[in-house]
Amino acid sequence: MSDLASVLPVPAYALPVQHRSRAEALHLRRMRGEASDEELMLRYGRGDARAFELLYRRHRLPLYRFLLRQVGNAATAEELFQDLWMRVVNSRGRYEPRAKFTSWVYAIAHNRLMDFYRGNGRASFLSHEESESVLEDLPAAEIAADLRLDRKRAVERLLAALGELPDAQREAFLLQQEGELSIEQIAAATGVGPETAKSRVRYAVAKLRASLGKES
Amino acid sequence: MIERRDEELSHIYREAEGPRPPQRVDDNILAASQRVAGTVRRPAVFVFSRRWGKPVALAATVLVTSTLALMVFERQSGVDTVAPPVPRAGRPAKVAPQEPKRTESSPAEPPRAVSLQKSPSVDLPRAAPAPAAPSPQAAPRSDRVQQHTVETALSGERRGTGQPARLPAIPRGVEILRRSEEVKPVPDAQRAFDAQQQIPPAQAPPATAPAAEAGGIREPGLAPQRAGAVGGVASRVVVPEAKERTPEKWLEDIRRLKTEGKATEVERELAEFKKRHPDYILPEDLR
Repeated sequence: MSDLASVLPVPAYALPVQHRSRAEALHLRRMRGEASDEELMLRYGRGDARAFELLYRRHRLPLYRFLLRQVGNAATAEELFQDLWMRVVNSRGRYEPRAKFTSWVYAIAHNRLMDFYRGNGRASFLSHEESESVLEDLPAAEIAADLRLDRKRAVERLLAALGELPDAQREAFLLQQEGELSIEQIAAATGVGPETAKSRVRYAVAKLRASLGKES
Repeated sequence: MIERRDEELSHIYREAEGPRPPQRVDDNILAASQRVAGTVRRPAVFVFSRRWGKPVALAATVLVTSTLALMVFERQSGVDTVAPPVPRAGRPAKVAPQEPKRTESSPAEPPRAVSLQKSPSVDLPRAAPAPAAPSPQAAPRSDRVQQHTVETALSGERRGTGQPARLPAIPRGVEILRRSEEVKPVPDAQRAFDAQQQIPPAQAPPATAPAAEAGGIREPGLAPQRAGAVGGVASRVVVPEAKERTPEKWLEDIRRLKTEGKATEVERELAEFKKRHPDYILPEDLR
């Protein structure tokens, strides 16, 4: 992907699958007349196993990346991933489309992560709180010009910085990137107020941008 | 909610080569989902069959059983009606229920003879010389239909005249049978059955008793007639159609006798005919 991609609008269908955002994929699905996530989940609740397979194909990669980047271990991520989908399977009869499916499934992922953190004594996730004042003090970093041209280096640096983020901020950022959740949806999924969710996202973004602005 | 600069960050993040879950994890999850979907959530038809399957099966079993029992019972009754089985020694045979109906009807009714010909209740088995009497079904159908016993003839006689039981004039059929020497002895079992059917004359209802009173039993008072009139072997002499012929058929028979030159028999038949059908206008050739 060249730098022009960030400047010129590129049609969604022209992008590689992994580069499409969730909104673009959703738009394409609507154009094709495909069923929504909520419809598929309801169909699966009525016994349509094919609907679950479609649902799984849509969300398996974002959910797996979300978990892997949160725990940093492939084996643990696989365990959590499998457990997450089994919870989805077992909840098929109780599912009600009161919210987006992604909000619901990422909320399950968050809860599963919380259990994992509790089991491993990672209390930082629970105690870490950000404040708007701290956020306001952060400088608005610009991405270095050389990293804009060298995307591979930029990606490596971004992922490294992502791993260094606090769990809550990383989760908020990943929920925004992988789950395409809004601030309100992130707040609902993580069980915090919208302001807290917003501050986490902005704090994560500021740190990541700062990591990309530094010269190595 | 994503700002412009965040969009740039998002582009960089998406360019990261995304890890994928192993294939075995995919297989496990999909297999579990299909297994659960196939076992827990069933189509409505399956749920219905599972819920109502046993009651419906039980009801169907009861229905089929009762239907079969009814069929067997009706068939058994039908067999009894068609031809009462030849009683075995020491065991009375079942009584044909339609036979008393025949006796209550007016003897002048022409259609009754037809119905009697069709009625299986008149199919008394022809006595066989063998100790074990053959089944009624074994005898030819046409033969059985056209046969009546002397008992029937006697019954008709009594109904027509209203007279008490007496020895009737031996009809022509009896003579024919005598000539052909088809008189067969009655098995002992049949005689035992006849003896059981005898009712004392004091209890015998009038000859015009309705069928309801008869209650599916052989006409009361008939057995004494039979015993007194023919007796023993002769009581089971088979008479073809006897008095149950239609007047026209009877007259044809008389004409045939007349053409054969049997004047005595013609006179006797005519006298009998007039007795049975007093209102019938005889044709010119027979007056």
